[in-house]
Amino acid sequence: MHTKHGIAVSPGVAIGPAFVLGVEDFRIPHRSVSVDAVDAEVVRFRCALEKACEEIGDNEKLASEQLGKQYGAIFGAHLQMARDPKLQSEVEALIREKHFSPEFALSRVLGQYAKVLLNLGDMYKADRAIDLYDLEKRLLRHLLGERREELANLTAPVIVLARDLTPSETASLPKQFVLGFATEVGGYTSHTAILAGALEIPAVVAVGDIVTDVSGGDTVILDGVNGRIIIDPDEETIQEYRDSEKRARSVAKRLVSQRSLTSETIDQERVWLMANIEFPEEAEHCNELGADGIGLYRTEFLYLESSREQSEEEHYEAYRQVVNAFPEQPVVIRTLDLGADKVPSQMPQLYPVGANPELGLRSIRLSLNDLERFKTQLRAILRAALLGDVRIMFPLISSVIELRQAKSTLNDVMEDLAEQGVPFNSEVQVGMMVEVPSVPLLAEDFAREVDFFSIGTNDLIQYTLAVDRSNPAVAKYYNSADPAILKMIRMVVEAGEKHSVPVTVCGQMSSDPKYIPLLVGLGIRHLSATPHVIPQLKEVVRHLTIPQAESIAAYARKLELARDIDTYLRGELNKLCPDLAK
Amino acid sequence: MKSSNPSKQPTHEPMSVGSSAEMTSEMTSQREVIVNLESGLHMVPCSRIAEHVRDFEGSVCIMVEDRTVDAKSIFDLLTLRAPMGTVLTIEANGPNSADLVNGLVILFERNFETE
Repeated sequence: MHTKHGIAVSPGVAIGPAFVLGVEDFRIPHRSVSVDAVDAEVVRFRCALEKACEEIGDNEKLASEQLGKQYGAIFGAHLQMARDPKLQSEVEALIREKHFSPEFALSRVLGQYAKVLLNLGDMYKADRAIDLYDLEKRLLRHLLGERREELANLTAPVIVLARDLTPSETASLPKQFVLGFATEVGGYTSHTAILAGALEIPAVVAVGDIVTDVSGGDTVILDGVNGRIIIDPDEETIQEYRDSEKRARSVAKRLVSQRSLTSETIDQERVWLMANIEFPEEAEHCNELGADGIGLYRTEFLYLESSREQSEEEHYEAYRQVVNAFPEQPVVIRTLDLGADKVPSQMPQLYPVGANPELGLRSIRLSLNDLERFKTQLRAILRAALLGDVRIMFPLISSVIELRQAKSTLNDVMEDLAEQGVPFNSEVQVGMMVEVPSVPLLAEDFAREVDFFSIGTNDLIQYTLAVDRSNPAVAKYYNSADPAILKMIRMVVEAGEKHSVPVTVCGQMSSDPKYIPLLVGLGIRHLSATPHVIPQLKEVVRHLTIPQAESIAAYARKLELARDIDTYLRGELNKLCPDLAK
Repeated sequence: MKSSNPSKQPTHEPMSVGSSAEMTSEMTSQREVIVNLESGLHMVPCSRIAEHVRDFEGSVCIMVEDRTVDAKSIFDLLTLRAPMGTVLTIEANGPNSADLVNGLVILFERNFETE
């Protein structure tokens, strides 16, 4: 029995056999294939080649249109490489004659080519080797991607272990057979982690080497509460986990049965509990969980799922589906928050990241840089706003001028729609995310120009404490309960109260039950959280009085260390709702 | 990086199909070009060459000094050591080889429209 520690990104405990997923990138799962399988493997290689060519062709077109011909030409060259007759014949010869797996054969052949080019010595030829590397990665992705389809053919429950999972792989995990998953890389706020929460599958990320350490079929315990994976556990440990699993399940059942109860404190103060979603399909489930609306719809997942530009109709259709699930309640649509860690995997070239992507061209800056795409999205939102209480939210605003630019683009779009006689809602509420420290500092200036604020704690903490939580070396410096964060939240609430601007807290902080008394005590009345925790959050709210919450917040604000605040809040939650304390 | 070419091998004999008029174009065509690209014959021009000759039924090679590469393979082309000013010899064998070679010469003359 041995234990690996990672970052808990989606709660719950799962016990079951490990399913080790075909490894990505340059680690090849199998070097050889059986003689009988040779023909099938050649076909598999050709299919992967064909798919890669199609994909490169699409990229070529897109890059030429959006970036210019010289960028398209790079893909044109990749296409010629993928179609190179020598490449195909040499790989197939290795499969047929040496019974190499297509992955291994491909890697060998391209490796040899790269070596030849590097040995030519000239600078510009070394660059060509990098292009080969890129091509190899793409082809391997297609080859291994097919292997990954095994996931869809599961017939028994397993715990999936992988180097990494893409958002679309995570989204398409067959829930009935996947008890949970663990990945070697990733962070708490990575989009895969966010999706795991949405799917209600326990998950742990950033656990380090597991794919090579664990064999398929080994029993593992995935502890999504404490961020642990226990490989080959003893009987006693399994029993302990089974018992706690049973308790957790009965609590969850009781909480979901309270969905029709209003989220209000004992002294009848309403606390709105809304849901964060990534996909329109989730909206209906949020309704079943008793959410008071959608507080954050992360629309960039429309792009992370697809290699194409999205049309106005595609945007509209997605928004319509969400509004249909909540026709009477608020649906806050956040405009595209692409860039940094959210780059569509098919088109990295369109999102030049620079040396420091978190501080680079991302989020609202990317939208303001590409007005066509931004306007397409705004048109769709304004049209969908006729169907319900739709609100527009701009992400990552850092200065008043940026906010004004975004709003002026929105006005332009309204004028266009009016001119074209397209029906839309001109009364839509417009708000902004509070994610950059400049905003709390100047909260009053911003409050005069928006209808609502929403504090995105993930980025606010990252930028305030200068820490990337997905980097295990510094993850310990990331703490939601840091006194600086509490002060910032309070600054925003005060500015909001003065200008009658409601403040929501979204982000991971509001999804953790122990922070609820604190946030309510700081004056927050709107929370937007991962859907599956909403029943738990409601339980906390219903056990709380406002004076009690305020005294908890006041006490927490007197503490100087994040660690002490955290311990204190955990203790308070344990007193309020012992069932929910971890 | 050497191996047999899986695509059709060069055909030096007249094709059995086609009119007799085409037979005159069955011969080998050869022309010289000068690389006039600042960064030499890099990846993008190589891909243009491979693209241009891809569907040609015969064989095409490019020679520089003592080396010969298959123009249908971008990987082969990439191994040409051809900086600015290099003189290359293009040779094609097969139906309408002269047209093909002329097309390639035009690509070189127009600098592949990349620079």
